[in-house]
Amino acid sequence: MAGELLSVKGLSKSFGEGKILDGIDLSVARGDVIAILGPSGAGKTTMLRCISFLERADAGDMIFDGVDYSLRDASRKEILEFRRKTGFVFQNYNLFRNRTALGNITEGLITARKMPKADAEEKGMALLRKVGLEDKHGSYPSELSGGQQQRVAIARAMASDPLMIFFDEPTSALDPELTGEVLSVMRQLAEDGMTMLVVTHELGFAENVSDRVIFMENGSIVEDAPSGKFFSDPEKKRTREFLATFIER
Amino acid sequence: MISERLMGILVDSFWNILIPGLTMTIPLTIISFAIAMVIAIITALVQFAGIKVLKEIARFYVWVVRGTPLLVQLFVVFYGLPNIGILIDPFPAAVIVFSINEGAYSAETIRAALEAVPRGQMEAGECVGMTYLQIIRRIVLPQALRIAFPPLSNSLIAMVKDTSLAANITVTEMFMATQRIVARTYEPLALYIEVGLIYLLFCTVLTRLQRIGERRLGAYGG
Repeated sequence: MAGELLSVKGLSKSFGEGKILDGIDLSVARGDVIAILGPSGAGKTTMLRCISFLERADAGDMIFDGVDYSLRDASRKEILEFRRKTGFVFQNYNLFRNRTALGNITEGLITARKMPKADAEEKGMALLRKVGLEDKHGSYPSELSGGQQQRVAIARAMASDPLMIFFDEPTSALDPELTGEVLSVMRQLAEDGMTMLVVTHELGFAENVSDRVIFMENGSIVEDAPSGKFFSDPEKKRTREFLATFIER
Repeated sequence: MISERLMGILVDSFWNILIPGLTMTIPLTIISFAIAMVIAIITALVQFAGIKVLKEIARFYVWVVRGTPLLVQLFVVFYGLPNIGILIDPFPAAVIVFSINEGAYSAETIRAALEAVPRGQMEAGECVGMTYLQIIRRIVLPQALRIAFPPLSNSLIAMVKDTSLAANITVTEMFMATQRIVARTYEPLALYIEVGLIYLLFCTVLTRLQRIGERRLGAYGG
C-alpha cells in the first residue's frame, strides 16, 4: 500500500494463562487518524504498548517507516531508533514530576537528540503556545490540572517531530469537563496531518476526527472500517451491539 | 544548687567539649556521611537495575553490615586489622567504618525510594527516546533522592550521635574529651549532661536544616 507507515503482523501476547492479543494484523497509512474502540479488557492498551515496545509481545512483526522490527526480540538499539520517530501519550500523563512544563518538553530534545538548550527551549515554547499553555511554562506537573498536564504531555510527544503519535486513553483519567480541551488539541493535531493511533472511549472523537475506526474484543480486531461507515453501517453484529449500548446511555 | 566550683568547671569545659565537637565530631560525620551517600547510591542502583553479579555483592554487603554491631566493626578495623599488618590511624579508621556502615543502611532507604518512583516516569523517559542511564540520572534518581530526603536526614542525625562510639578507638571527639574532663574533675553527672546538651544542640541545628531542605525540595510539589 502506498504511503504505508506502520504495518503489524501476527501480534500476540499472553499474561500467564490469559491470551490478551491473538494474532493482530494492522496497518496504518501516513496521515491516518485511527480510533481504537472496544470494551475494557479487549486488549486495546496492550496492543498499543506492544507496538511501542513498552511490553514485549510473544510474537509479531512490524514494519515502521520502512524498517523491520520483531515485536518480541527487537534490540535496545532498534527500540531507541523507533522511539525517536514516535511519540506516546499516556492515560495518566506521566509527566516528569521533577521538570516544569517546559522542561518536560525539552528533556528528550536535550538528552536524546542533543539539541542545544536554547533551541530546545524555543521549540518547547512554540509547542506550549500550540497547546495553549505558554503562560504555564514554569509550572511543575503538580501545579497543573489534569487537562493541562495532558496537553503538556501531547506537546512533549510532538517535540521530536514524530512520524506518528500513540495515544493510550488520553482522556480517561480526566474529569468530563476537562476532556474537551485535550480533544481539541488532538483534533488540531489531526488537522495538521499527524498520523495518530488513539485508544479511546470518546465516540465523538472517533466519529468526527478519526478517518478509521478499529473495534476490538477479546484480543482480536472485530471490525476495521472508515469512521463514517463504522458508525452508520457496521458490518458485524457485535459492533452494532457495542454501539447500541452507547446510544442507550 | 550548682556550686561556684561546678559552674566554673562547666563553663571551662564547655569550650573544651565544643571544640573537639567542631573539629572532630562534625567533620567525622560530614565526611563519613558524604562517602556513605556515594556507596549507598551505587549499592541501591545496582540492585534497582538488577545488574547480575553486582546485585549479589550489594546484597551481601548490606546483609553483613546491617547484621553486625557498629562497635564491633570499629574494633575489627582499628584493633583487628593491625594483626594482618594493616594499621590505620584512628580518624581515618572511624571514617571508613562509619561510611561503610551508613552506606548499607542508606542503600536500603534509597533502594526503597527508587522503587517508590512511579513506573510511568521510566516509561515516559523511554518514549521520548532517552537511554536507561539518562532516565535514571535525570528523572528517577532525583525523584528518589527527594523521597529519601527525610529518612536520610534522620540517618545523618543518628550518625552525629553514633560518632561518640569513635571514642572507643581513641578518636578524641566530644565524648572522649568529656571523659577526660570527668577523670580530672570527678563531676560525671553535670559533665555528661553537658555533653548530651551539646549533641542536642548539633542535632537541633540539623533538624532545622532538614526542614529548610524539605521546603526547598517541596517546590515541585507532590
